[in-house]
Amino acid sequence: MASTGLSSSGATSEASPAKAVDATPTKGGLVVGLLSYQDADTIGLVTTAVREGLACHFGDLASRIVLVDSGSTDNTAARARDALGGSGDLLELSPPRATVDLLELPYHGIPGKARALHTILATARDLEARACVIFDGNVRTVTPHWIDWLARPVVEHAFDFVSPYYPRHPFEGALTKGLVYPLVRALYGVRLRQPAAAEFACSGRLIDHFLNEDLWERDGAQVGIDLWLATSAASGDFRLGEAALGIRAHHARGEKALDLGTTIAQVVGSLFADLENRAGRWQRMRGSIPVQHFGTSPATAPPQSSSVDVERLIESYRLGYRELRDIWTWVLPPRTIVDLRKLVDGPPAQFRLDDELWARIVYDFALGYRLRVLPRDHLLRSLVPLYSGWLASFILQVRDLSAEAADQRVEDLAAAFEAQKPYLISRWRWPERLRTG
Amino acid sequence: MVEQFDQALRLASTRIVESVANFLPGAIVFLVLLVGALVVALVLRYTLRRALNGLDFDRRAELLGISLAAWTPSRSATTLVASVVYWIVLALGLLLGLTALDAALPSQFAVSVLEYVPHLVAALAILVVGGIVARFLARAILIGAVNMGVQYARLLSLTVKWLVLTVAAAMALDHIGIGRTVLLLAFGILFGGVVLAIALAVGLGARDVVTRALERQLREPARDDKLDHV
Repeated sequence: MASTGLSSSGATSEASPAKAVDATPTKGGLVVGLLSYQDADTIGLVTTAVREGLACHFGDLASRIVLVDSGSTDNTAARARDALGGSGDLLELSPPRATVDLLELPYHGIPGKARALHTILATARDLEARACVIFDGNVRTVTPHWIDWLARPVVEHAFDFVSPYYPRHPFEGALTKGLVYPLVRALYGVRLRQPAAAEFACSGRLIDHFLNEDLWERDGAQVGIDLWLATSAASGDFRLGEAALGIRAHHARGEKALDLGTTIAQVVGSLFADLENRAGRWQRMRGSIPVQHFGTSPATAPPQSSSVDVERLIESYRLGYRELRDIWTWVLPPRTIVDLRKLVDGPPAQFRLDDELWARIVYDFALGYRLRVLPRDHLLRSLVPLYSGWLASFILQVRDLSAEAADQRVEDLAAAFEAQKPYLISRWRWPERLRTG
Repeated sequence: MVEQFDQALRLASTRIVESVANFLPGAIVFLVLLVGALVVALVLRYTLRRALNGLDFDRRAELLGISLAAWTPSRSATTLVASVVYWIVLALGLLLGLTALDAALPSQFAVSVLEYVPHLVAALAILVVGGIVARFLARAILIGAVNMGVQYARLLSLTVKWLVLTVAAAMALDHIGIGRTVLLLAFGILFGGVVLAIALAVGLGARDVVTRALERQLREPARDDKLDHV
């Protein structure tokens, strides 16, 4: 490893997040945190790419690789050590674990992720690092350039937070494109297109800010921490950037992927919970600004998605309208229910869920979440048929478009969320009007 | 003769006066208790109405599944709770008053009713909790089934709801000691019959369908797993 001053510390430390590490050769340098859980197949690849990236691009900077494993049983840590040639350059830490983490698999697949991230960030602070870069250990397509594109804006251009941008097939990441990105952009005024991404880079100043935030022990932190850190950076006085890293492929953790209802409950629930906690901030924000882009466009096109059965999505929406309409009336105003009714009988080819209507639906659900008009899990899961309807409409609109035109379609949707933001603010301030209008 | 008649009259009047003297304090206490209970009941009814309206109780009760629209359209949940509390306080005042009268029969009646009240309250609590649980489960199953694309989601949801409600009602009746043996037998027969019917239906009529569904479940991932939504 070309980085200077790395101490040899291969032993696992049962460190609490705040425990100081043994040496400080990274003062003003770079800390790279690897998060892993059952990643024996890929962790070697990630570790090697990080080591090479540090050697190639930051050879003159003190650096340290920190591995925080969340209890793998497949020798993930040993594979990481092997990838570094047993040189002892790896600092291994174990975050505190809780039994409750094992009860429900989070959508990102790492139980206790907030504790693991806190451990890395606290270590970076103890090492007085200038920047910290986080990588997920399950990525198959990571290259040494990633660390350059993520860390350089922080190290050389005084950016505080660099989020990755992975080009994807228009149908992939639909929840991010159709809800997470537009909502984060409308609320916090920054155009981070993939705010829930697992990888990111942050400055020493932002590390202090993150560690001083009271989000680490909140309910749902282990699931929504990626999003919460991004919104924390977006709602503070920090410089944000976005690095195009190329295509991201990863191996799935666990035997079975989560069902759509659970995924939506986790992702959207995290976002709504954060929105509730930052209400004072986002109500003052108006408009949005683009963030500076780094990195490079991929040489290869995003992989073709699996075929999507649009008719099945529309049928899911229709079934939802038929059976869940009574539940939706607790959340959505009569005007919206009428608009949704119009979509039920039309031919599938002309199925269109208007951007403004979708934005208002999301805002009404956010308000319903805040007011607890239903048990929150029920509320979030009842969003699934509406999301299916939006997804069907989106696919019908973009399936014949180029990737650029599809991206533009997402930008138009995000603009609609911005345009409808006064609707959310007025309902948030005067919730007694929830069931009228 | 006249003396004897006069003495009898005196004795009778003394007995009447004594009886009245014995009865009057109890009657006064009875009236005081009744009036006191009426005042407390009125105050409680008024306070409860104000408090529950302030807490938006009607909307919350409807969310929990306590909807009265089907049974008493003219009464809201708030009015019902306030009225129930009003009549309970009045009834308690009446029962306490009866014990104050010191008459054997009314007192025994009052004591036995008062002893029964905790059972009634417990049965009512079982019913309310059962109703809430039934509503919660029914909604969870309805949403889950719709998200899985089950066409008979509502039927499934209603089945679970009424199953839980029936169990709660049976538990409540059992608690107050009404038809204990009959209930036990009825439930044994009902659940045994339902399970047997389902087993026969699956075993004889839908064996192939179940086999295919299980095979599909084991071999293929869920259909919506193909797309990475996040």
